[in-house]
Amino acid sequence: MTSPVTKIFRDFWQERGRTGLVILAIALGIAAFASVMSSYAILTRELDRGYLATNPASAVFFLDSIDDELIQTVLSDRSVSNAEPRRVVSGQIKSGPIQWRNLVLFVVKDYGNVQVARLEHERGAWPPATGEILIERDAFQVAQASIGDLVTVKTSNGNEQRLVISGSVHDVGQAQARMENVVYGYITLETLAQLGEQPYLDQLNILVAENRFDENHIREVAARIQTLIQARGHEIRRVDIPKPGKHPHSEIMGVLLLSMSTFGLFVLALSGILVVNLLTATMSSQVRQIGIMKAVGASHRQLLGIYLSQAMLLGAAATIIALPAGLLGSRLLCRYMAVFLNFDIKSFAVPLWVYALVALVGIITPLVAAMYPVWRGIRVPVRVAISDYNLSPNSFGSAVIDRLLARLGGNYRPFLISLRNSFRRRARLALTLLTLSAGGVFFMSALNVRASMVNTLDQMFATRKFDLSVIFASPQPIDKVERAIRDTSGVNAFEGWFVTEGSLTNDSHSSNASDPRTTTPAGGLHGGDSRGENRFTIIALPSDSQLQKLQISEGRSLATNDTDAIVINTTLAQRNPQLKVGNTVTIRMGPAEVNWKVVGIARESFSPAIAYIPLSFIQQRHPGETNSLRLALAKSDSDSIDAVKAELETNLEKEGLRARASTSKAESRFGFDQHMVMIYIFLIVMSAIIAGVGGLGLMTTMSVNVLERRREIGVLRAIGATSRTIAMIIVGEGLVIGLLSWTIAALAAWPISKAVGDSLVGLLFRGGMDFVFEFRGLLIWLAVSFLLSSAATLLPAWRASRLTIRESLAYE
Amino acid sequence: MALKDINLQIRDGEFVGLIGKSGSGKSTLLNMIGGIDRPSSGAVEVGNTSVQDLKENKLAHWRGRTVGFVFQFFQLLPTLTAAENVMLPMDFCKTFPVRDRRQRAVSLLERVGVGQQADKLPATLSGGEQQRVAIARALANEPAVVLADEPTGNLDSVTAQAVFDLFREMATAGTTVVIATHEADITRVIDRTLEISDGALV
Repeated sequence: MTSPVTKIFRDFWQERGRTGLVILAIALGIAAFASVMSSYAILTRELDRGYLATNPASAVFFLDSIDDELIQTVLSDRSVSNAEPRRVVSGQIKSGPIQWRNLVLFVVKDYGNVQVARLEHERGAWPPATGEILIERDAFQVAQASIGDLVTVKTSNGNEQRLVISGSVHDVGQAQARMENVVYGYITLETLAQLGEQPYLDQLNILVAENRFDENHIREVAARIQTLIQARGHEIRRVDIPKPGKHPHSEIMGVLLLSMSTFGLFVLALSGILVVNLLTATMSSQVRQIGIMKAVGASHRQLLGIYLSQAMLLGAAATIIALPAGLLGSRLLCRYMAVFLNFDIKSFAVPLWVYALVALVGIITPLVAAMYPVWRGIRVPVRVAISDYNLSPNSFGSAVIDRLLARLGGNYRPFLISLRNSFRRRARLALTLLTLSAGGVFFMSALNVRASMVNTLDQMFATRKFDLSVIFASPQPIDKVERAIRDTSGVNAFEGWFVTEGSLTNDSHSSNASDPRTTTPAGGLHGGDSRGENRFTIIALPSDSQLQKLQISEGRSLATNDTDAIVINTTLAQRNPQLKVGNTVTIRMGPAEVNWKVVGIARESFSPAIAYIPLSFIQQRHPGETNSLRLALAKSDSDSIDAVKAELETNLEKEGLRARASTSKAESRFGFDQHMVMIYIFLIVMSAIIAGVGGLGLMTTMSVNVLERRREIGVLRAIGATSRTIAMIIVGEGLVIGLLSWTIAALAAWPISKAVGDSLVGLLFRGGMDFVFEFRGLLIWLAVSFLLSSAATLLPAWRASRLTIRESLAYE
Repeated sequence: MALKDINLQIRDGEFVGLIGKSGSGKSTLLNMIGGIDRPSSGAVEVGNTSVQDLKENKLAHWRGRTVGFVFQFFQLLPTLTAAENVMLPMDFCKTFPVRDRRQRAVSLLERVGVGQQADKLPATLSGGEQQRVAIARALANEPAVVLADEPTGNLDSVTAQAVFDLFREMATAGTTVVIATHEADITRVIDRTLEISDGALV
């Protein structure tokens, strides 16, 4: 081993505590990076693999009814490899004494031979027998039932029937049932008939034979099949073409992974800052040695080699530690995401490119961080280097800030030492503050974004003055509905609305909207979801509605005399920039195309895309009918709402009417809140990791400071300072830095929280949010800053207090 | 450097010069007297105190009250002004009421000739001024003993003479002063010279 190599290792050994801290800090950054990159590789692979394994439909046709002959006709087109019929029926499910839950029933003809949009059998019976129902594995919690339980099921047109839950399935393409607050059930045609519904199938899933991921090809085939079906006299209501090969949630996951990757790189950059700090300090303490090495013939290149090798070794050691931790973190993250998106991960294998990238980044980051301090260190002239001998290598007092600090008096000199010492190494202080403040900013951002989201939801739900909404599968006579409501106690007011769906005629694209709930205001939340991208909900309501007070952000609301006026919500406006106030648009509503004048934009940030039109328009076509009710109740607690719901449903039954679904305001809100929790947890975890890096940074800084000030500590002891006083001076310095970082974080929190919140919400929901600042966050982070600073300085303080005067004064 | 067979008594108010080559044991002997080092055998008594028997915290307070140190490189705390440096031992040992400390510090600084520099930071002072401040700090708690290790090693000869004169004044005023030095001129002001070689008095 050559002497420079020996020096590299002995230097590490001599400063093993500090070296360990820096390796730990870099490892934390690399672990976060490795975790995110591995998760990215695993999740994108597994989500698509799991989804593709189900053979998702290339196109879905919604028509009147499907028979074997039609299927054979479709299959006669050689570009179609599979065609299978299904049906989706809305209903309600009840287990024991609990209230009815919204149910989406999937009717499959032949469970033994599902080739398109396959279901994975999980437990219990397969296929379900007549009188049995399978439940999606994530929906058991919503249904509050188990395999073997008897449940009561009712659909819009049928009777209440008791079915046995005989097993569970995993339907990869469905959103998490718990988050959507809905039960997914799977039955046979025979069971559907038993439920009193007409036993027919109306949804045709086709799989193209070739070029499955070519959307243009799929559109061509779909157009041909559409003509074929229509030629046989069938009416097609809708054709959906999902994004080929992409899980319906791949977009939302992409956004989350992008956010996490950004965060991973950010943490890595912060770790790099620690390396800059450490190596700057190391180079300062090595100045004499550098001078001596130069004096005995070392060239700049040789010195660069020594110190950059040290940086590379730090990176390599950190990478070795970080990789297992990163992989473990990745597993946890993948599991969480898999539960959230309701899919299984078959393999956690991390591709080689991730290892290579992490190793490269792990080694290069400290190397890059080391460049400047090393270069600066080795350029010190020999004369200066070997004459460097003083109490402290830097002089305090030459800068204006030093003189200002010197004017700050006080009778407690140890505190003055803490305060002024904080500012002695200003570059180091700045970098330490950057890492600590970043933690604070992210923590406060997490709280602010959460508070803002809650506020935005509060604002949105405040416009809804109703407590309960009831949806019918088809238009119902309003007089019967009114009678049922009059007989129901606890209803203060109600309005009969009409909810339908539409699409812009100049929109040639179609997309998958197989979930019928997207046609209701309580539908999916993912504004960016490919489902329903070009379709939107149309709500016809009284122009002077007392139960929906739209919050108009531009233009005006609907007026009494309006006939062709339409108000769109912000989600729809953001999705279709051509929809501007004052523009006239043509909207396809069922078979008809209608011109509307956009008169206003209603603020509904997290809502699905909705357009509001005057109820009078629909009443001309469906006089005396309604398909959607909104009710304001006397009491809005969940028990009271449940009681009204039950009584109303009974009274509707008496009138021969059956609700397809009824949803309380709280239930609608639940889904939104669940989505917010995900973002909130993500931000909190992020800030905790950044605060951890910040804490390690402070610990490194303080240990370097203590090392550099050993002689001063010796002097302090020589003139009477006790161990406790020394420790207090060190901890005091940490607290000053903590307070400074808090101040910076507090100042930066407002703009950064808003930017982070807006971009996250914009990416996830394509909407904005009503920003509010969570002042509690300031206090909480102040406490955390003090705790973190105290904890980070305890070890250096303890070590400083143990230094003897002799060894302190002997330190060079 | 280890010391051996040292048997030494220094009287109150005596000004003793320790001379010897580099590495002869001068600093070690000063450290023993000041409680910075502990003897492996034998005893060090300052006044009525057995220094080696004191626990670490008690030793710190004893040192602060009883011993004043002056170092070769001044060793002023760079973030404190001259006056604050002088007040620091008073703060640690609570020897004077808080309200009197500043006044005493300034008066000590005036006594050593740097009263005008009281509110300046060490970096803005010359070497000689810094050493004067260090001497004022050593006197802050009216110590019985002042120990100075090469106090003029970093000063020019004129300033060194002035510093020696200061020590002489202190001794005359009743403070015991022990000074380790290479300077031949020291004989001009000291009461007794002790030569040390290889850890033993010669």
